[in-house]
Amino acid sequence: MALIKDQQLSVNHAATPEIRFSDWLNHEQAAGDTVLTNGEDDLPSLLASANKLSMIAIEFETFADGRGFSMARMLRRDGYLGEIRAVGDVAMDRIDFMHRVGFNAFELRDDQHAAQALTKLGEVSVHFQPSADGKGPAYMA
Amino acid sequence: MYAYNQFDQTLVDQRVEQYRDQTHRYLAGEIPEDEFRILRLMNGLYIQRLAPMLRVAIPYGLMKSEQLRTLAQISRTYDKGYGHFTTRQNIQFNWPTLESVPDILADLAKVQMHAIQTSGACIRNTTTDPFAGVSADEIEDTRPWCELIRQWSTLHPEFAYLPRKFKIAVSGSSNDRAASQVHDIGLHLYHNETGEIGFEVLVGGGLGRTPVIGKTVRKFLEPQELLSYLEAVLRVYNLNGRRDNKYKARIKILVNAIGIDAFTEMVEAEWQLLKDTELRLPESEIERVKGFFTGPDYLSAVHAGSDLQGVFVEHPQFATWYRQNTRDHKQAGYRIVIVALKNQLQAPGDVSHQQMDGIAALADEFSFAELRSTHNQNLVLADVAQRDLLALWLKLQDLDMARANVGTLTDMINCPGLDFCSLANAETLVLSRQINETFDDMDYQYELGEIQLKISGCINACGHHHVGHIGILGVEKGGKQVYQFTLGGSASNDASLGKTLGRSIEQDQVVVVIGQILDVYVQLRQIDETFLQLVRRLGVVPFKERVYGTHQRSAA
Repeated sequence: MALIKDQQLSVNHAATPEIRFSDWLNHEQAAGDTVLTNGEDDLPSLLASANKLSMIAIEFETFADGRGFSMARMLRRDGYLGEIRAVGDVAMDRIDFMHRVGFNAFELRDDQHAAQALTKLGEVSVHFQPSADGKGPAYMA
Repeated sequence: MYAYNQFDQTLVDQRVEQYRDQTHRYLAGEIPEDEFRILRLMNGLYIQRLAPMLRVAIPYGLMKSEQLRTLAQISRTYDKGYGHFTTRQNIQFNWPTLESVPDILADLAKVQMHAIQTSGACIRNTTTDPFAGVSADEIEDTRPWCELIRQWSTLHPEFAYLPRKFKIAVSGSSNDRAASQVHDIGLHLYHNETGEIGFEVLVGGGLGRTPVIGKTVRKFLEPQELLSYLEAVLRVYNLNGRRDNKYKARIKILVNAIGIDAFTEMVEAEWQLLKDTELRLPESEIERVKGFFTGPDYLSAVHAGSDLQGVFVEHPQFATWYRQNTRDHKQAGYRIVIVALKNQLQAPGDVSHQQMDGIAALADEFSFAELRSTHNQNLVLADVAQRDLLALWLKLQDLDMARANVGTLTDMINCPGLDFCSLANAETLVLSRQINETFDDMDYQYELGEIQLKISGCINACGHHHVGHIGILGVEKGGKQVYQFTLGGSASNDASLGKTLGRSIEQDQVVVVIGQILDVYVQLRQIDETFLQLVRRLGVVPFKERVYGTHQRSAA
């Protein structure tokens, strides 16, 4: 599976964690500092634990499940600086919005062409909302 | 009205190219069907029973005449020469090809229009009072706030994959003409006790399978924090709304499940983290946007006004039209003119390309080159000088758009029904035809007074039947199309859901039953009592007795 990270194709990167956040919470220290989560996990706990994690992989079980967008946005609002990786049903038509709310890594679905996907970041270059990428509406500039 | 700057134009142009690429990749087999479905819906493209349907956004119902001309041109070039105005102030084209949609969007972008978020599980077009900025009963102009919401909601990256669609309506007058209490969020602009302007925020209203009147989540919101508050509501909804069942996914279900108090607590907690951040609207931005809605260069009352009494005597039909289809304007010497899209021959809300061009020319000549679409599926020329009214009326007659039936029985809301819609269970257009044929005596309609008839072809309630004074819902039973009546609904300040009359009515009996309902009203009404008031006073029982006492052919 191709991974885009920090706006380029990544060849050498940490594997996507397999340990679920809920399990990580239960045997916290032993389990490393990367977790896999999704909209079913307890978000306040995740936000409270984020400073102990170097990577949070947010899983999109289906592309229509938009909860991960708010999760990433709230993690960045709290100042989380680690990697937020989108995994699961991740396609090029959503990674620009994902990037804007705070994801910095995208594990693309198998059918996705990675080089083409890269061109989708910033496809619409102007924004009407403040978001995690620091760009916002014209009146904020 | 608002005019795009380079920023807005860039966004819309780039969005067209983005969608062009998505269409191209879909046609090349590179995007799976179910995924492209979501992508095209976010650009207003449905696949209906017979053809695709493209819904074009008319932000809060406001249009320039040149935009309407472009819509006419699009209907000629890519469609069958007509369009259909919806209850959410948008316009739909029923016959474009999927392949042509990127070109249509490019044509729209040239006149500052688009189809962004006119469908899909995202924030839809914000709607408002079609008389905003001109109505005599207005508290505050809603249009600048609608524009600010339009901008904030357009391509909002966090809220493109909500549990379900999300609709916002804004009202700023003492009479709610935006159906704000049956929207996911209803905003009421008003002055509080200390005279400050702000919003009352309602959430969780809606129709469909589970009709609900919205509940107040915040009594007073300072307007600078409008966007931060909306963001808080949307975030709570995005994270907590149900995603397992699309019929239980609207925010109203969440609000009802956890209760308005718990919901309010969640929103307020999130809002504490959002207010006074970059989402707070700077005064300069509010003023900039307000600057687009300062109103046209009105003539003085002496020049615009006209004593119409003599004209009324000479042209009694004009007098009737004036009474039914025009409204008080805040500017002395001016009237608001409602152009009814409810003649006998066209489906409610339908407008031909000739009519679009014609009305655009009338907007140029008589109403500062602007017009509006309404929740009731009509058009509005908002700023007509009294001295021009007769000339306008004569020209509207040439377009077959002068029927003086606004607010009457035949000024009905009607979804397209089974003739077009793939969701519908029953035809609706046949009913509007029958109703127009049966109730063709306008004097009888005037005598009945205001009656809002609203017809939906399925439980999704696009025709807002729950809030019709008379509501009709088409359903399918045992292979037959039958119709359920409700009485006493309203989408105005006194919003209420209609009560069921009784068992379903067969299609050919619908006009008979409407006639019986009207008979009961005429027989039992007190002086000056409207239909709605009477239903509220007496309930459905006398109607039930009349309809089912004599009605032998009702369906099971």
